[in-house]
Amino acid sequence: MSWFLKRIGLSILLVWIVASIVFLAIHFVPGDPAELLLSTSGFAPDPVAVEELRRRLGLDQPVLVQYVNDFQRLLSGDLGRSMKDDSPIIDAIARRLPRTLELIVAAGLMGILIGVPAGTYAAIRRGGLFDRVASALSALGLAVPVFVMGTLIVLLFAQTLRWVPAGGYVAFDRDPWQHLTMLAMPALTIGLHLAPVVFRVTRAAVLDVTSRDYVRTARAKGVGPPRVLVHHVVRNALMPVVTVVGLQLGGLLGGTVLVEFVFNWPGLSGLLVESVSSRDYPEVVAIVLTISILFVGLNLVIDLLYGALDPRVRRR
Amino acid sequence: MSAPLVEAEGLTCHFRSTALFRRGPTVRAVSGVDIAVSRGEAVGLVGESGSGKSTVGRLLLGLLKPTAGSVRFDGCDLATLATAELRLLRRRMQLVFQDPYSSLDPRRRVGAQIADGLAIHDLVPASERPRRVAALLDQVGLPAAYAERYPHEFSGGQRQRIGIARALATEPDFLVADEPVSALDVSIQAQVLALLAELRPRLGLAMLFISHDLPAVRHLCDRVVVMYLGRVMEEGPADAVFASPQHPYTVALLSAAPSLDPTRRRTRILLRGEPPSPINPPSGCVFRTRCPFAISACADGVPPLRPAGRTGQRKACIRDDIDVSAMPSAVVDSV
Amino acid sequence: MNRRLAVSLSGVGLILLLALAAPILPIHDPLQMAIGQRLAPPSETYWLGQDEFGRDVLARLIWGARASLFVAAVSAGVALCIGTALGVLGGFMRGFVEVLTMRSMDVVLCFPPILLALLIVTLLGPGIGTLILVLSVLFLPGFVRVAYAGVLSVRSNEYVEAQRVLGASRGRIMLRTILPNIAGPLLVQLSLAVAAAIVLESGLSFLGLGVVPPAPSWGVMIRAARAVMDRAPLLLLFPCIALTLTIFAMNALCDALRDSFDPHARTPRARARRVADLLAPGLLPPPRTAQAGEAVLDVRGLTVEIETPGGSIQPVQDVSVSVAAGETLAIVGESGSGKSLTGLAAMGLLPSAARVAGGAVLFEGTDLARAEEATLRALRGGPMAMIFQDPMSSLNPVHRVGRQIAEAIRAHQTASWGEAHRQAVMLLAKVGIPDAARRARSFPYELSGGMQQRVMIAMAVANGPRLLIADEPTTALDVTIQAQVLQLLADLKRESGLAMIFITHSLPVVAEIADRVAVMYAGQIVEEGRVVDVFSRPLHPYTEALIASAPAEDGPPPTGIPGTVPPPNALPSGCRFAPRCGYRIPACEAAPPALMTPEPGRATRCIRWAER
Repeated sequence: MSWFLKRIGLSILLVWIVASIVFLAIHFVPGDPAELLLSTSGFAPDPVAVEELRRRLGLDQPVLVQYVNDFQRLLSGDLGRSMKDDSPIIDAIARRLPRTLELIVAAGLMGILIGVPAGTYAAIRRGGLFDRVASALSALGLAVPVFVMGTLIVLLFAQTLRWVPAGGYVAFDRDPWQHLTMLAMPALTIGLHLAPVVFRVTRAAVLDVTSRDYVRTARAKGVGPPRVLVHHVVRNALMPVVTVVGLQLGGLLGGTVLVEFVFNWPGLSGLLVESVSSRDYPEVVAIVLTISILFVGLNLVIDLLYGALDPRVRRR
Repeated sequence: MSAPLVEAEGLTCHFRSTALFRRGPTVRAVSGVDIAVSRGEAVGLVGESGSGKSTVGRLLLGLLKPTAGSVRFDGCDLATLATAELRLLRRRMQLVFQDPYSSLDPRRRVGAQIADGLAIHDLVPASERPRRVAALLDQVGLPAAYAERYPHEFSGGQRQRIGIARALATEPDFLVADEPVSALDVSIQAQVLALLAELRPRLGLAMLFISHDLPAVRHLCDRVVVMYLGRVMEEGPADAVFASPQHPYTVALLSAAPSLDPTRRRTRILLRGEPPSPINPPSGCVFRTRCPFAISACADGVPPLRPAGRTGQRKACIRDDIDVSAMPSAVVDSV
Repeated sequence: MNRRLAVSLSGVGLILLLALAAPILPIHDPLQMAIGQRLAPPSETYWLGQDEFGRDVLARLIWGARASLFVAAVSAGVALCIGTALGVLGGFMRGFVEVLTMRSMDVVLCFPPILLALLIVTLLGPGIGTLILVLSVLFLPGFVRVAYAGVLSVRSNEYVEAQRVLGASRGRIMLRTILPNIAGPLLVQLSLAVAAAIVLESGLSFLGLGVVPPAPSWGVMIRAARAVMDRAPLLLLFPCIALTLTIFAMNALCDALRDSFDPHARTPRARARRVADLLAPGLLPPPRTAQAGEAVLDVRGLTVEIETPGGSIQPVQDVSVSVAAGETLAIVGESGSGKSLTGLAAMGLLPSAARVAGGAVLFEGTDLARAEEATLRALRGGPMAMIFQDPMSSLNPVHRVGRQIAEAIRAHQTASWGEAHRQAVMLLAKVGIPDAARRARSFPYELSGGMQQRVMIAMAVANGPRLLIADEPTTALDVTIQAQVLQLLADLKRESGLAMIFITHSLPVVAEIADRVAVMYAGQIVEEGRVVDVFSRPLHPYTEALIASAPAEDGPPPTGIPGTVPPPNALPSGCRFAPRCGYRIPACEAAPPALMTPEPGRATRCIRWAER
């Protein structure tokens, strides 16, 4: 139990460090942030505008005061206001975050439901036809970057076959069926990107575990093959698979950027790219912070899951 | 009697994991050990796992710093030496490792590895080294041409010989052999032990032979030290300890070893239970929890080494009145 | 250098060559526009067509390769140097330096990669310089971790300590011993980083945040082609294919590198087969007929074959042994004798690369070598049981020991989990584990070696076996614990009258516990008989030499056997022991000797047995 508490405590510490680093990154970058934000096409910005921005962003105060102020605001849930239209950023995030999350969940499920059974079967019948075909497909799938996959899917399904529209979004409560149709393609893109990775690590883990002594012991006890497979092989192979899937999902938290861009899916990452392009620095910072915190949270869940699966991790 | 070459007094080594946020428990690997090896003498250090014997070997070589006590080499206290001075002293004391498969660098030819000591201490000009390496290989019974090969081309027994050649390159006065044959097949073990037995008097080496295998120790060593849970239980001339062991643990250890001799086969003393953990050793005599002769006084303090038997043995036991030959035993038929 | 490595290396090399040669190749200027011919399809002068500004697609593809590869190589290289330095320092110095480096890498890893990239691009603006900085930072943790893990793993090898003992300085050890030995994983990581860098760079350029147009980069090209996808789909396909092919080649190189450094990957192509799947009646030579006896297990002419890359070998050849109820047979031999494989073959537990190629294994009349898997499973853990050498790895680390014993019970008896668990606790007490009810809830790692082996024994005797095969069960245990375990086995055997096959390399143990002994050398039985007879009057030189090698308390020091055991793929033509035998005569090396029976109950493979 104390191990779990320690991990949670560590994660909170990490969140604090992450937030501080984001803060430091902004403030210790060479050059004045306000000038940087206002400069376009290499022209020096109007000094009055710069001064105005500095006051608005609180950049004229000593760094330490800014740090404390920013943190206080953060803890009270205020993530600042967008420079574009002065709206509270937290509203925009709250609106867009669920859309990104549903994409990740859908894609993650797809990746796991394809990858784990396929990897297990390929490992059990190693060298067989299924193994060779699946391994080849997975090698190919790994080589295609996710935005290429997305663009090609749009080319195939939207433009050539005209089965689905090329992109966009419809809220679930307005038209559930249409919503799901439009979710399908971006989710498929990420899912197909994820599945080969899951396949590979599952296959490697199952192969490794099957050759272990304790599987031999289980067989020596006369335990039936289904039970050996589930309780001894898969149970132990799960651990590295969980770690890798967790890493991938974590990477997806930022990685949906490309897919959202390709499919015009109005998620959080899309908002981030807009903010970056328009140099809306408070918004960029707020979004990066949110995603990073989610990332730390996800890592914590993975760690706790791993601890629940493998008792050896929990000692000392 | 001249002063011993290697002398340790009150040697203690307690480990504690020192990761930043996790202070682990203290492992009392070695506590209050006195041991001495004279020039040209072979001392056998015997014990089971957790006895601390490997740690003692490394303490004597200065590879580990003792938590308490001192190690003197040729009169010089190792703790007073600076790192550079200690490194220079290493010429004179060497180590033969247990695992033939991880004691040689897989990426380098064995000749280069044997010559390492010569190169590090600049004992011999580079042009001379191949000749020295050839001589060393010959000394351990391997052809000189083997110097150009890589470790994976050799068997376990051959690798151990190469390890011995490497250790002898700097012409040390003191050699610690840490279970040098445990990982080898029986027929190869005998080969390597015979090699060590032959080299020792020829080169005038003082040797500390660490092993859990009692019969091997008997043939090779002049004196024997028996350890249990970090402390010395008994020590004395090898023949005496084997012929008439004085400490209950030594008796149990000797009788537990299976033997080819039919007359010794039938009675075996079984110790109760499991050895305690070195993290939490029993108070007083560490053997008392499994000793058939333990009395309440055994918990009162660590028993010192006292003379026992007739031929220079010492034992760490407060009782003089026990008849070790009358230990409760189990008659063992064939399984 | 195996084939896979060569092929992938040449693939990557080709792409690299093309990219490097770009300035001297006879292709169009990638930046030259020709608005009048925008989106033209492939033609004679423009092999892959022209893009939305009329520029030559082929030229832009090749120059794009240059940009991507340059960014990837530089950033991976920078990350390699700095990461390795940090990782090696942390792993070698330990203490504060270690904590600092590893924790700071953990913090970098808290940011999803693209996010960190976007953050830095926001602050510093797009461009190749920023890109290289971003990618270097992103790949740094990977290298630090690989270097760190590598250093820790190498340090645990004794050859590093050997350098310390020899008096080498820390610097020397780091540079000349540790660094060369972690080069392998670092190289693999480098290839991974380059591949990942190509992907990331193209992604960022696709978003407009990487390479700044009009400079060509595949990501930029894909972005532009997307806008005109409906009019010129080919324009989209070419950069996609180029990108995919390059990443595929890089991935293939990574895999080939990883496999060439990992010794475990070089196992023979395993065929997933069970003994029963392979054999059908008629395919095997008929078993040697013998008289019926009350043998519990009767192995006749067993031969095991393994496929290796160099051909098939027979680590067990024509082995015949038998054991009756209440009897203990010891199979003794050194490494390479085939004794363990014999035991595994009897239980039908051979590793998947091995198979029974001949002979019969009769358990109470049933031939196990020809039996169905279902029949074997009903026997394993029930009437026939086996215990292994290393109890720590033989127990499932994530299940409690009580449950593992209960599982064995439920595999052969109809019992509920509760009932099985109760029996398991009783068994634990019977094998001498104190506080059995509490211990049943322990995980294997919480128990000592001796206790783990007792758990294994409890599992084996749970269903009242009539045969127990013990494969070196006490080799990994301390002497006093070994004595306890041997005593336990003796008691269990006496109670139930089971037959036991005890596989070991230790002659003294054989002398203590066995009734009969079979001595194996290089896959064959060389001598067999009652322990009392064999030890007092060995009829084979190898047995005699083994007895002489075993250390004894009194008597002369042990003498070894010169030479080494022949490997199964290089066996001598005559008697397998002849090269090392002090009694050899020319006849010994002429033809392989058969197993002879000089007296009833004794067998030997030495043609000179009569002279003993």
